[in-house]
Amino acid sequence: METSFALTGKGYVIVAADTTAARSIVKMKVDEDKIKEISPHLLMAYSGEPGDTVQFAEFVERNIRLYQIRNLYPLRPSAAASWIRRSLADSLRSRSPYSVNLLVGGYDTATHEPKLYWIDYLGTQVDVPFGAHGYGSYFALSLLDRYHDPEASLEEGLATLKRCVDEVAKRLVVSPGRYKVKVVDKDGVREVEI
Amino acid sequence: MSIMEYNGGSVIAMVGKDCVAIASDLRLGNQALSISSNFQKVFPVTDRIYVGLPGLGTDVTTLRERFRYRINMYTIKEEREIEPETFAHLVSSTLYEHRFGPYFIEPVIAGLSKTPSGGVKPLIAAADLIGCLNFAKDFVVAGTASTKLLGVAEGLWEPDLEPEDLFETISQTLLNSVDRDAFSGWGAVVHVITKDSIISRTLKGRMD
Amino acid sequence: MPDMTSLAHPQQRSFNPYSENGGTILAIAGADFSVIAGDTRQSEGYSIQTRYAPKVFRLTDRAVLAVNGFAADGNMFVKKVKQRLEWYRHAHSKDMPLRAIARLIQTMLYARRFFPYYVYNILGGIEEDGTGAVYSFDPVGSYEREACRAAGAAQSLVQPFLDNQIYFKNQTPALGTSHPAHLPLPTVLSIVIDSFTSATERHIEVGDGLEMYVVLAKGRNLQGLEGVRGMQELTVTDDGERVFVVRRDLKKD
Repeated sequence: METSFALTGKGYVIVAADTTAARSIVKMKVDEDKIKEISPHLLMAYSGEPGDTVQFAEFVERNIRLYQIRNLYPLRPSAAASWIRRSLADSLRSRSPYSVNLLVGGYDTATHEPKLYWIDYLGTQVDVPFGAHGYGSYFALSLLDRYHDPEASLEEGLATLKRCVDEVAKRLVVSPGRYKVKVVDKDGVREVEI
Repeated sequence: MSIMEYNGGSVIAMVGKDCVAIASDLRLGNQALSISSNFQKVFPVTDRIYVGLPGLGTDVTTLRERFRYRINMYTIKEEREIEPETFAHLVSSTLYEHRFGPYFIEPVIAGLSKTPSGGVKPLIAAADLIGCLNFAKDFVVAGTASTKLLGVAEGLWEPDLEPEDLFETISQTLLNSVDRDAFSGWGAVVHVITKDSIISRTLKGRMD
Repeated sequence: MPDMTSLAHPQQRSFNPYSENGGTILAIAGADFSVIAGDTRQSEGYSIQTRYAPKVFRLTDRAVLAVNGFAADGNMFVKKVKQRLEWYRHAHSKDMPLRAIARLIQTMLYARRFFPYYVYNILGGIEEDGTGAVYSFDPVGSYEREACRAAGAAQSLVQPFLDNQIYFKNQTPALGTSHPAHLPLPTVLSIVIDSFTSATERHIEVGDGLEMYVVLAKGRNLQGLEGVRGMQELTVTDDGERVFVVRRDLKKD
C-alpha cells in the first residue's frame, strides 16, 4: 500500500514516498515518482486515488508556478500550503472531490527555517515536525516520536528515515519495495539515495 | 464513524468577575491515530474576543479564515472593532448559511463587551453546527469531551472568580475532562481575557 | 380463510428483553469507611416511572451493593446475591467477607455470560482488615478494587470530577507536602452530594432523591456523622461494622 514519510531537521526537510503504482492487487509500475518539486524550495509528496493524485499535483504545480511568474518571487511554504489546503477544502464540498493526501515540505528562504505540513484529502492542514500517510504511518509515527530530533544533521535525519522504511518493510504485510527520497534545504531540492 | 469525532478535540469557556476564560486541548487525530499535539482550535478575533472551533479539522481552518475575512470587512466598514454579541450573531449566521450542508464545527465564543459606564461585561456563547446560539451565564462546552466538561465544570465553577482563580478552575476542568476522553488531550491552551490584558498559557497535562 | 397476501411476505418478529432505566450510582472508599450512593429516579426514555426506586442495598453490616442499568435485572440480581449470602450465613454462622462477596458477584455475573444481567454493580464496604473498599463490576463480571467509581447515566459527568477531587489528578501538592491517600468522611459526603447535584443539573435521567449509605469499620466513632441531617442507622449486629443511610432530596425537574 502507498506510504509516505517526511521529517524536518536542522535546516532541511526530508520527504520520502514509495515508488509503486498499483491497480488492485497488481503492481503496474515500480519506479513512479510521487514527490513533485513544485517550486525551488518546495516539495510535495502525494498519494491517494489514482488519477486524482497526478491531476491535482500538476494543478498545484502550475498554479504555484503562475504565482511565481506573476509576482517574480515564489510563495513561501506556509502560504503555498495554505493555498493547497484551501484547494482541497473547496474540492471536498464540490461535485467531484479530489482524494489526495499530501506532505508539503519546504525551506523558508525568508526565515531560514524548514517547514513541513501534513495535509489530508479533507483539507486538514497541520504544521508538524514529522508526518506520514498511509499504512506506514502506523509504524513510522511511533518511531519518529522516539527518534526524531529537530536539530539532527542530514545524515542523522536520513538514518531516522531508514529506520521507518525498514520497520515498514519488516512489519507491514503489503509493504512497498522501494522509496524515492528528496531533500529540501537552503540550496533547493535534490534527490538522495538511502 | 461520527464526523464530529473524526479529528477529536474539545473547547470550554467560563465567566469570571470582569473576565472570561476560554481553553482547548491541542490534539488532532485521524480517529484513533494522533497526528499532531499542536493543533490550535482557539483564535483571537479582536483584543477582547476569542473563538474556539472544535470539530472537523478542515472546517476549523476554513471557518477561521472565513471569520478573519468577515471581521476584517466589518472593522473596515464600521471603523470600529466588533462587539462580542455582534460577533456571536455573525458566527450564527455564517453557520446557518450552510444549513443543509454544514461546517462540522460547534463554535465557542468568549469576550468582554463594553458597558455605557466604561466598564466591561463578560460574554460567553456556544453554537451548534448550524448556528443555534446559547448565551450562558456560567460556562459553555463543546467537542468530544463535552459531557465530561459539563460534569466537572458544574462541580468546580463558582460565580465571580478573579482572573487567576478562573484560570485554575478552567484549567482543572479541561485537564481532568480530556484525561477521560480518548479523542481529546495532548496538551492544552488557556486564555484569560481581562479588562486590560490577556493571559495565555500552554499546559502540558498527560501527554497520552 | 387466512389472508393469503400477508403470508406471501416474509415476516420477522423480535422481542427485546432489555431496557435502560437511567440513574447514577457512585462509591468512594475511605481509610476505615465506605460511602455508597445512588439517586432514586427510575425512568424509561423520557418518562419517569417513579421518583423513589432504590438502587443501593444493604447486603450485610459490612457490605452495600449499588446496581444500575436495567432495573428489573438489578432487583433480581440483588435478590439472588442476598439469597446466596443467607445460605452462607446458615452454613458458616457468619457474614461473608467483602472480598468474597466481590468474587461471588463475579461468578454470578459470568454465569450469565451469554444472557447477561444488564447492570453495572458497585460494591462498597469494609474488608476483613478494617479498610474501606470499593469494587466495581461490568455486566459480565470483570471487577477491580478501587478507591472510587461512578457508574450509570451520568458516569461521564461524575468520574472525571472524582479523578480530580479524590485522586487529586492534575493537581501538584505544595512543596514538601503530599496528597492524602484517603479523605475524611465529611469531605467525602460533601463530594458525593456535589457530584449528584451536578449530575442532576445536567442530566435528565438523574434526580428526585439521593441515598448515601455509609459503612463504618468496627469500633470506629461516628467521625462527624452524628450531626448529619436525615441520617438513620441500619446496623443489625452488635460490636461489628455499622451501616447508616443518609437521604437527601435532589431537584425533581
